[in-house]
Amino acid sequence: MILELDGLGHRYDTEQAVDTVSFGIADGELLGLLGPSGCGKTTIVQAIAGHLQPTAGRVRLRGTDVTTDPPESRHVAVVFQQSTLFDHMTVADNVAYGLAADAGTVADFLDLVSLTDQQSAYPAELSGGQQRRAELARALSTDPDVLLLDEPLSALDRALRTEIRAEIGRLQRETGVTTLFVTHDQSDAMALADRLVVMDNGAVAGVGEPRTLYASPPTPFVADFLGRSTTLQATVSDQQPLTLRVDDTRLGFDARRTALPTGTPVTCYLRPSDLRLQPSPELPSLPCEPVDVVDAGRHYDVTVALDTGERLLVESQTQPPVGTATQVGIPQATMSIFPADEGAANDQ
Amino acid sequence: MSRPLLSRLRRPDQPALLVPAILGGLFVCYSALPFVAFVSRTGIDNVVAGLSTPAARVAVRNSLLTAPVATLVATVFGVPLAYVLARGSFPGKRVIELLVVLPLVVPPVVGGAMLLTAVGQFTPIGAAAAAAGVPLTDSLLGVVLAQTFVAGPFVVITSRAGFAAVDRRFEQASRSLGYGPLATVWNVSLPLARGAIIAGIMLTFARALGEFGATLMVAYNPRTMPTQIWVAFIGGGIDAIIPLGVALLSVAVVVLAVIQRFGRVPPVIEW
Repeated sequence: MILELDGLGHRYDTEQAVDTVSFGIADGELLGLLGPSGCGKTTIVQAIAGHLQPTAGRVRLRGTDVTTDPPESRHVAVVFQQSTLFDHMTVADNVAYGLAADAGTVADFLDLVSLTDQQSAYPAELSGGQQRRAELARALSTDPDVLLLDEPLSALDRALRTEIRAEIGRLQRETGVTTLFVTHDQSDAMALADRLVVMDNGAVAGVGEPRTLYASPPTPFVADFLGRSTTLQATVSDQQPLTLRVDDTRLGFDARRTALPTGTPVTCYLRPSDLRLQPSPELPSLPCEPVDVVDAGRHYDVTVALDTGERLLVESQTQPPVGTATQVGIPQATMSIFPADEGAANDQ
Repeated sequence: MSRPLLSRLRRPDQPALLVPAILGGLFVCYSALPFVAFVSRTGIDNVVAGLSTPAARVAVRNSLLTAPVATLVATVFGVPLAYVLARGSFPGKRVIELLVVLPLVVPPVVGGAMLLTAVGQFTPIGAAAAAAGVPLTDSLLGVVLAQTFVAGPFVVITSRAGFAAVDRRFEQASRSLGYGPLATVWNVSLPLARGAIIAGIMLTFARALGEFGATLMVAYNPRTMPTQIWVAFIGGGIDAIIPLGVALLSVAVVVLAVIQRFGRVPPVIEW
């Protein structure tokens, strides 16, 4: 591991911002640190970069404890959410400012981000995308052991966001720099990261490859935060195969089993895109009635009410008539089940 | 086609701005009237002739010797203090901030009296300095002490606001690019706050050049332009002071022009 966090914690006065966070980044890996605003992501970045002294835990770089080392001796580059290009320097001077002795020339790095023609320009003369690329070039020119990208896309509009996201992926592949990509946007994280660390309220809620975390979320929070989800309350009525009871309806999932005892109330996290209205007979299904339909462009967001009064969100390719009784089918593969009290604890 | 938003806002006939514009206009008239009246009393020939007298030339020379030194001293010690106040958090910070502002609030003549109690010729410091051949009162050094005391806060306050306006992340970026704290201040913080610092230096210089009250107490002699103006006024009335007065006024105008061109007075000074 190039970078290891061991029980990292930080407290601002009475507020515990980060609590016992441990994870590592392998050489050349692009790790996504994902979580909602205020979950402690930036505190972790600041602690790794050395701009903040954590109140607990250690930061190790290449096996060396650097927790108390100053930022300038860590070989950790940072790109912040807002531009920190120095206004009084040209683009070339900005890149030259941090250029490591054996990293290459300023021209090499400007070429890497296609800014050769803007080398004499001042930051204020650059577009938002050019500023981001100049910052990436400046960060890479230090030949860092770890590159920290702290919400680098948040201040950009949608089109630019996609462009710079692709640029970050390309730069990371070409340079092989170990990267920690911090974001609150799960689509950015899913698109870029080799592996994800999902944060919730200052603690790690899940670690794994993006697709694995999406398909098999380890906690209700991850299920809720990573992609769209809708929840269904049920009770375990059989373990093998898994059978759930919703009101008087039994749903049998022959390919699933559970360790939860019979009679346990559970919360099922379902993907709205996987739910089916008027499903085929073999799919476990519940009677329902569409109560609201919103045209979301590529699909319709259909809210259906079950007989229990509970509501599910379904992404449908067709527009169902509101108020007409139908069935909602529940595919078993992408359903995640948690004890109901665990899900409630994470409902925020 | 509708007019741009800002020009519409600035229309003088905006009803919402009418009352404040009238009140503000009266203020501007009151401020401008003395300048117009003063300058119109004399022609350029009289000013040049007045400044050519031996006493005036000595006063101009003394002022041009002392005010830059006072400005330099205030800058060398005040800008670092401003940085510490902008970035640091420590016990007693509030007290230091009040101490910095105090000379601006205390009447200069009282400030001069306070300086006398600290470094006057009958105090331990003053006596020791005089014995060493560098008297702290009635000397050019005394003038510098008085000017620094009264004018120094301008560069501290303005620079502090300038540093506070620099996002810390610029400094963090510099540190992560391999530069230590001092190199970061030199390469990043100072250049980014330069507008405010230049404004502070120019304001300090202008204030030092025109300093009268504290200088009167600490070093009535040798004469500077303001003390010479006082002497001339006692002896010859208002017309006798016009040459030196116009000269000081000209410096003030140049200072404001420099601030307009290069400097930046932060819109909000936080305390």
